[in-house]
Amino acid sequence: MSTVFRIAQEEWRLLRRRRVAMLGLLLLTVLSLSAALTAWQQRQAVAADRARYQAQVNQEFDAQPDRHPHRMVHYGTFVFRPLNALAAFDAGIDAYTGHTLFLEGHRQNSANFGDVRQSSLLLRFGQLTPALVLQLLAPLLLVFIGHGVVAGERESGTLRLLLTQGVGPGQFLLGKLLALSGVAALLLLPAALALLALSLSAKAPPLAAAALLAAYAAWLLLWVMIVVGVSAVLKRRRDALLGLLALWTVLLVLLPRLAADAATTARALPTRFETDIDVARDLTAMGDSHNPDDPYFAGFRRQVLAQYGVSKLEDLPVNYKGLLGIEGERMTSELFDRYADASFERQQAQSRWMDAFGLLSPVLALRRLSMTVAGADLDSYRRFLVQGERYRYTLIQSLNRLQAVQIGYAEDRNPNRQARIAHSHWHDQPDFIYEPRPLGQTLRSAAPAAGVLVAWLVAIMAALMLAAGRRLGRVGR
Amino acid sequence: MSWLVHELRLIARSRLCVAALLILGLLATVALVSGAREVSRQRETLTHLAPLHESDVAAVKQKRSKDGDAGYAAYYTFYDTFDPPSAAAFVALGLRDVAPLALRIRALGLQAQLYEGESFNPELALTGRFDFAFVLIYLAPLFIIALLHDLVSGERQSGRLRLLMAMPGAATRLWVRRAGLRLGLVLACLCMPLGLAMGVMGSGGLALAGALGVVLAYVAFWGGLCLLIAACRWSSTTQATALMSGWVLLTLVLPTLANLAITKRIPVSQGVELMLKQRQNVHAAWDEPREATMQRFFRSHPEWQGTAALPVEFHWKWYYAFQQLGDESVAAEVAAYRTGLLARQRWTERLGWLLPGVAAQALLHRLADTDLPAQLAYQRRIEAFHGDIRAFYYPYVFNERTFGTEDFARRPKYVAAERPPQLAWPQLLPLAGWALGVLGLGAWALRRSRED
Repeated sequence: MSTVFRIAQEEWRLLRRRRVAMLGLLLLTVLSLSAALTAWQQRQAVAADRARYQAQVNQEFDAQPDRHPHRMVHYGTFVFRPLNALAAFDAGIDAYTGHTLFLEGHRQNSANFGDVRQSSLLLRFGQLTPALVLQLLAPLLLVFIGHGVVAGERESGTLRLLLTQGVGPGQFLLGKLLALSGVAALLLLPAALALLALSLSAKAPPLAAAALLAAYAAWLLLWVMIVVGVSAVLKRRRDALLGLLALWTVLLVLLPRLAADAATTARALPTRFETDIDVARDLTAMGDSHNPDDPYFAGFRRQVLAQYGVSKLEDLPVNYKGLLGIEGERMTSELFDRYADASFERQQAQSRWMDAFGLLSPVLALRRLSMTVAGADLDSYRRFLVQGERYRYTLIQSLNRLQAVQIGYAEDRNPNRQARIAHSHWHDQPDFIYEPRPLGQTLRSAAPAAGVLVAWLVAIMAALMLAAGRRLGRVGR
Repeated sequence: MSWLVHELRLIARSRLCVAALLILGLLATVALVSGAREVSRQRETLTHLAPLHESDVAAVKQKRSKDGDAGYAAYYTFYDTFDPPSAAAFVALGLRDVAPLALRIRALGLQAQLYEGESFNPELALTGRFDFAFVLIYLAPLFIIALLHDLVSGERQSGRLRLLMAMPGAATRLWVRRAGLRLGLVLACLCMPLGLAMGVMGSGGLALAGALGVVLAYVAFWGGLCLLIAACRWSSTTQATALMSGWVLLTLVLPTLANLAITKRIPVSQGVELMLKQRQNVHAAWDEPREATMQRFFRSHPEWQGTAALPVEFHWKWYYAFQQLGDESVAAEVAAYRTGLLARQRWTERLGWLLPGVAAQALLHRLADTDLPAQLAYQRRIEAFHGDIRAFYYPYVFNERTFGTEDFARRPKYVAAERPPQLAWPQLLPLAGWALGVLGLGAWALRRSRED
């Protein structure tokens, strides 16, 4: 064991003397720290903005004057997607989704004003977060620093010397792995501090932060093994460097884009335009509440009359127009939900396609895990939209019920006067509260990606043992 | 010309060179094909939407022409607007994966309809598309680095450098020719598929010339940078490290830092605010005296002043008047929102003066008409068309004319914009300047490296 440690120590000593390497390490640490800081600031600012808008909208809703409840159905309300605390670590899809959702009767709107449509194409270069630094830049720095750990010793002849002096190839490799792992730990340190700060501020669950830290540690360890392995297998430093750079490019830059392209083509999504028309068509097919001869609504009327045991709408103890509103909203919402679910199923099928590419490029598995744990993945977004829709439905139906109970049928049918009810009713409507995905469920959905990452670790480790061990064994003989 | 044959033979013998060039050509081709497929999918979607929309309008027409009330017709009839991809859009898909391809609007308040989004998978948008712009901006520099970083050090490491240096002028000539040939081959790998694809897709001469110009300048910039580093007396691994760090800095770190700064300095929260304010103003109309609303409306639209007074019961002209007043009440916010968005774009363009990758991105997407200005142009067009819709219905609503079946046929039709490709000279010139400057500097450094 002490041999292993001595080899690592020697490597560290050499590293400290390489000014370029130290500069790179320093720069990346600074970048990492500033990424953590700015991403946190950004998150705080965005979260504060959205909370302020939400409070304003809630207050405005409560402050509406006495009105007919159906006016409030059209007035509607807005909900704003709150940000998960860990978005300061990995912003995930946040910039690519809308965060302002207008909720009104009869319609299901899209969430709007996402950054992606409010920024120049500069956004497409990526967003500076600790996650981006660790996903893309840290492996590259490991390549720069470590491509020569074995190949360099081979080129200078010291490798043969060491191996003939009784250092086992396994010990040698372990020493080098330890040396580079030390560097990786240094690279991970700013992110670890950021995660610690996030969980100490009691905003992020410590377990989630720990899971993220473990995932990124595994990711860097994976690259440590890749770098040492390639450096051991290829004869020259130059070849090792070029090979590693090519690998980095293919795995981290090229494959993710190809995967996204493949997923888009494999499962095309219908446009909102089309969905809106389909919903309108299905709705017409179901019935027209304004048409007195419509079979569906004639049936509904009969059923209501029978239920209350009266023969005329005027004799109902409740306002029939309110009941009609409730029934109409139920029908449209069912359609909206069906189409929205279908769209999300397709999107999730696309994402599964992407995940399958994780078997080819581990960065996709890491990203899936990171986004999921940070609550910035498609599923979290869907949760927001689903909860928003549920809130919309409850609110609209509660307003419709107010119309049914508080306003008389005859009064409601008189075109010359707008019946109104007291504004205190608006205040009685509960506010929207977003419930983030429970931690257990989050971790469970991140588990497959973690499995892929572990499989990569095991596979690379096995490859390292086999190929590199054999090659070094040959040198020693 | 025998040197050319000789150099070509050298390249053919180097597996790295041949593989790099073949892969680059292949990636460019795949990106172009993939982009073209996406664009044709968008066109197909549009042709598929048109009859769907017509049948939707036909259903409204059937239901609404009986009573002859223009107010109902205007309320229920949707109008389709669409933003077909330009003939060069396949080169750089830009914002087209997140912005609506087509938007349905009606005669109600426009500001509540204009910002409606498209349904798309944000996880895929986050990754980005594999288009030619990506291959050029991100991947091509890596290939150039692989081909040129050891131009000098490779000879040194193989021991031929001393021999070359012994012959006066031979070394410089060799570097220039060799680098020139390799860059030429890289250009060929990018430009041949690009030219062919743009020809087939009918992108037009200006777009083709512009795109080729951007490719030429960007490749020249990276070639120059490689020569500059190659001329340093470093080992080939140090040179590769330096160049790769430069790539990371220029295409990853600096643009993301700049984006952060721009987002922070130029907030565009006016979008959300105008939406909130417009809704507030529109719905307040139900609680204020209707005559007061009409008087406010007549102030900005005196042409309807002389029409009949409002009856006791509901009347559509009051309804459409307050809808329009709602839009007008947020005109200042709308202008501020657009100014903010354009300011973000302008600062990105200015950043292009410093970062060639950002300049190339802005130039290509302007040529392809898939950037933020293109989105804003589409919004402005929708706005103008919405004016036409209002102008079409108002005479019926305000003069209480019957709106019959034949009037449905007279409704305005959206005509998609014919936007000719734009080459943004103010950005091409700095890019070309960078390319020439760095290339010249590289050649100068190579010549100097011979002297000592």
